[in-house]
Amino acid sequence: MKQIVIIGDSAAGVATVEAIRNKDKESKIIVLSDENFPSYCRCVISDFLAGKVSEDKLIYRSQEFFKENNVELLLNKEVIKVDPKKNRVAAEDISENKKEDKKSKSAKLQFDYDVLVLANGASPKFPELPGIKKKGVFGFRTIKDTKDILQFVTMADSACVLGGGLIGLKAAYGLKKRGLDVKVIIKSPQVLSQVVDKQAAEFVGKRLSDNGIEILTGSDVTEILGNGDIKAVKLDSGKVIACQIVVAAKGVKPNTEIISETEIKINEGICVDEYMKTNIPNIYAAGDVAETFDLTVNKTAVNALWPHAVDQGKIAGANIVGENIKYAGSLGLNSLDFFDLPVVSMGIYKQTDNHEVLAKTYPADELYKKLVIEGNRLVGAVLVGNINQSGVFLELIKQKSDISTIKDRLLNENFGYPDIMDLTQGAERSYV
Amino acid sequence: MKKIYFDVEKCLGCRSCELACAISHSAAKELEKMISQKDKSLPRIKINFSKDKNYPMSCRHCKDPKCVSACMAAAISKDEKTGQILYDEKKCVGCWMCVMVCPYGAIRPNKKVKIPVRCDLCTDIGEPQCVKGCPVKAIVWVEETELERVK
Amino acid sequence: MSDVTKRSVDPATQEVLKHIEGQSIKTTWDRYEEMQPQCGFGQLGICCTNCYLGPCRIDPFGEGAQQGVCGADADTIVARNLLRHIAAGGAAHSDHGRTTAHALNLVGKGEIHDYHIQDEEKLIAIAKIYGIKTDGRKKEDIAADLGEKMQADFGSQQGPIKFISRAPKKRIEIWKKLNIIPRGIDREVVEAMHRVNIGVDNDYKSILLHGMKTALADGWGGSMIATEAQDIMLRTPEPIRGTVNLGVLKEDYVNIVVHGHEALLPEATARAAKDPEIIKLAKEAGAEGINLAGMCCTANEVLMRHGVPLAGNFLQQELAIATGAVEVLMVDIQCIMPGLVDVAKHFHTEIVTTSEKARFPGVTYVHFEEHDAEKIVKSIIKKAIENFKKRDKSRVFIPKEKKDLIAGISTETIAKILGGKYLNTFKPLNEAIINGRIRGIAGVVGCNNPKTTHDFGHLELVKELIKNDVVVLSTGCSAIACGKAGFLQPEAALEIAGKGLKEVCEAVGIPPVLHMGSCVDNSRILIAACEVLKEGGLGEDISDLPAAGAAPEWMSEKAITIGFYFVASGVFTVFGGPMQVLGSQNVTKFLTEDLEGITGGKFAYESDPIKTAKLMIDHINRKREALKLRPMMYV
Repeated sequence: MKQIVIIGDSAAGVATVEAIRNKDKESKIIVLSDENFPSYCRCVISDFLAGKVSEDKLIYRSQEFFKENNVELLLNKEVIKVDPKKNRVAAEDISENKKEDKKSKSAKLQFDYDVLVLANGASPKFPELPGIKKKGVFGFRTIKDTKDILQFVTMADSACVLGGGLIGLKAAYGLKKRGLDVKVIIKSPQVLSQVVDKQAAEFVGKRLSDNGIEILTGSDVTEILGNGDIKAVKLDSGKVIACQIVVAAKGVKPNTEIISETEIKINEGICVDEYMKTNIPNIYAAGDVAETFDLTVNKTAVNALWPHAVDQGKIAGANIVGENIKYAGSLGLNSLDFFDLPVVSMGIYKQTDNHEVLAKTYPADELYKKLVIEGNRLVGAVLVGNINQSGVFLELIKQKSDISTIKDRLLNENFGYPDIMDLTQGAERSYV
Repeated sequence: MKKIYFDVEKCLGCRSCELACAISHSAAKELEKMISQKDKSLPRIKINFSKDKNYPMSCRHCKDPKCVSACMAAAISKDEKTGQILYDEKKCVGCWMCVMVCPYGAIRPNKKVKIPVRCDLCTDIGEPQCVKGCPVKAIVWVEETELERVK
Repeated sequence: MSDVTKRSVDPATQEVLKHIEGQSIKTTWDRYEEMQPQCGFGQLGICCTNCYLGPCRIDPFGEGAQQGVCGADADTIVARNLLRHIAAGGAAHSDHGRTTAHALNLVGKGEIHDYHIQDEEKLIAIAKIYGIKTDGRKKEDIAADLGEKMQADFGSQQGPIKFISRAPKKRIEIWKKLNIIPRGIDREVVEAMHRVNIGVDNDYKSILLHGMKTALADGWGGSMIATEAQDIMLRTPEPIRGTVNLGVLKEDYVNIVVHGHEALLPEATARAAKDPEIIKLAKEAGAEGINLAGMCCTANEVLMRHGVPLAGNFLQQELAIATGAVEVLMVDIQCIMPGLVDVAKHFHTEIVTTSEKARFPGVTYVHFEEHDAEKIVKSIIKKAIENFKKRDKSRVFIPKEKKDLIAGISTETIAKILGGKYLNTFKPLNEAIINGRIRGIAGVVGCNNPKTTHDFGHLELVKELIKNDVVVLSTGCSAIACGKAGFLQPEAALEIAGKGLKEVCEAVGIPPVLHMGSCVDNSRILIAACEVLKEGGLGEDISDLPAAGAAPEWMSEKAITIGFYFVASGVFTVFGGPMQVLGSQNVTKFLTEDLEGITGGKFAYESDPIKTAKLMIDHINRKREALKLRPMMYV
């Protein structure tokens, strides 16, 4: 009978709980969350911002779930420090206090553990520039962020989003749906520079502009202007753009501060082995906070994506209860759909000279399919417009199959699972 | 749980199963009435053609479902009792993560209605309609353990 | 065990079906169930097998192929398939007309002795239309010339075919403008088959316009020639009594059933069956005599002229054999199911085919020639007499169900009845329509289909129509259905008829449901429409008439062709169950909406007979309004 403490109740935390409880109904599990809402679907907050989804629909796992699984879920607990030598976690109750007012603290809380799982995610990066601390500047990660933004939306006409990644564009979409005039300011020459290649970015960018979201590439914000409230942002070109809301969407950073003073190995995120263990044997890490092996580029990376968080939590939990399951590795894995243009991107989406590329583009129909091949393996794929059968490409990438016998069929319209049946290990029986 | 399996030696690729599936999931429930509906219900089963043979494909209701892990809206779940993969349309936001990760390509987007199209074993009818719809009986609905016997 | 009441509403049919349950005798209904599911692509008309680039099918959900391999889209594929059906249906009727015209010519020349010129009045009338001199000439000479000229309509290249001139002037104008006046009966069918080849006519409107031309070449061509030539040789039908349903088979007689469509074959058979020598042979074999009964249109032909009993319609053909009481089933062309052979294997019944064009594997073929008609049919009757000895009496099951009827209502007959003894006129009918006693005229025609409950569509529709004071002109298997239900008994029908219709029928002596003949006799309905217009007061063109047509249980391609020639002639026509067109929204819209603005007629697809009646009645009411007729007298 163990006492297991899990920091974080989102995708990775919940997956860990479920994997443990699959085998072990006895051990005590405590889950700590620093938010006011029980486990919710973080990626859906943009639909909440847009007004497409109501708050109650955001629930990922309800309080009942935790109760039924005999798990103590403690909300509003901010972890201050992890002490691996004492096997102890120190946290602070932040429910009554406002988050900025750190001076008035309630009683410090302590949780001892036999096993610790760090699933405490990542936080938005705020660029260092004058005015960044003004009221009206938001990150876009939590329900609280969204609600704060919505309060401002009622009084605002226009917004600027800093950063053209998935979160930035989703924020822009949500704000546009709320009737604001939206501009996305991007340093790189394309939207989604960390997600898709130039061709796909062109299609997405055009779809966004056609729907009224202005994209400014090759620009950076140098200052946020206004006396008290935000009045405008200033670009590196000198241009000034009026707005009342600024959303900082320049990426997220794994929340490693709570273990910064420990001996837990950190790179960009918390380093874990194939069993999701850190260098300290009774401490695991999973989800956005973890740095795992990226099987397309053959080195470690933080691939902060929902499906990975779930898979990693599952494996961490399974290994905690004595199974020995290896994590095959993460990769870039994104799907998006702005204004009815579906896009999928997986693995290496920007080829180098080492890669062979097979591609098909129909610009008039906004259809695009690109496959990136290294040697005899598929290492990346980008699909725009028609994303059917994407999962089949994903299998080829994950299983590192030798595609030489099917290379000529990869771009066929009717390419599908039967083409890879003989090359891959299908877990489920389909044909007799 | 009984699942759907396909006999590739018999499948003619006629696509009658696709029609039967779409008709049974439509509001009109009849081919002639369904055909004029604007946003037609799409078939959950699709025929793939490869190496001169026809391979029907529909959701495998996997033991380790990738779609359940990938769904970020908690709309896809696994019924632990039956093993069936369930889909809650009310929670779905049309993000297509499930489409992206299905190793069998058994889910695809319905772009008009923004929901993924995937097989639900016709539980509300009680019997998968593709099985009935196949003119050569190339689709069988059995427990995996009975599969050898059926062959 | 299937529920027989779902399969048919006809009591005789239900009885026989129940009787053969468990005997492993397959019927159409069994084969229909086995055929499920029927291919949806076929049903929607979006399957094309015209060339070897295919076979192709269009994805109706818009995800897969939207064009065939040659590039044809759903509109083209559906329209082409439809044109093939029209050509096939037209070819069947027209071929029938061709043989009849040829026979007329040979009768005139004296080369055929078993048939004669029996209706001189009609001979003169039709000869005039063909521009043949009639004054002072022998009827045989006129007939020879007429037969030759009728045949010429088949091979005519420039046309127009002669009977087009019988249509109202306005109608001919419309056809001229649309360029759909048939040039030659065979030519239009050939061009239809040309157009549907890969890479010829790809425009659905163009394809369907030619479809109408081809159909007109049937309705105002092949079919009409068949009707008129048959009338000339065999007599224009006059009111005649008959009986209908399986109960007409007689346990103590040699039963011979004639089935198919020709009129000449059963005519000779009917005569031969009365021959005293033949009857003597029958008695020697232990029977009371010869009982000749007919099925389908062949039956209608001999019923109309000789009162030969009618055993049943299309879906009952196997059941006749299943009574175990039929010695010979004599067949010629069209609507004869190959499945009959399997049913006959269970009984002593011998199937005899008579047409070189309609052969059945493993079945006796006796080649029928008009030259030797009497000899040939007598040989077949003798076969039947022989076979009587082989009948297993213990297996005989003849349902008692049969009904009396009045048939033989040709167009000429209507005029005669309405006019009284010395006059031929449509005036009373027109007046009744104008002053609101009769709402309008409906043509209810066509086949049977296991897709619907046998006879249900026809009967419910006819009931609803006459209830609403619409007089019904009926042909084919639809008329047989009405007969079986008693609607062809004037007294019985009048009980259901609306007040206005009842008054008129009782006053002038016509029944509310008029049996006008076989399927080629649908041309009689066209002529009846022309007569009504000529009489006056109801518009100038067929599309002005308060009239509508329906084929509630259609199945054959001929029905499609008939539908098209009625629509092309300006008549609103409802088909019970769509043609294979729903896969193209454009073609469906063209047929059910746009056509009205082009020819004055259009299609509707409705499988519920009450809803069909409503569509027809609403249409008739609209036409009444447009003609500014008085409101209906009894509402």
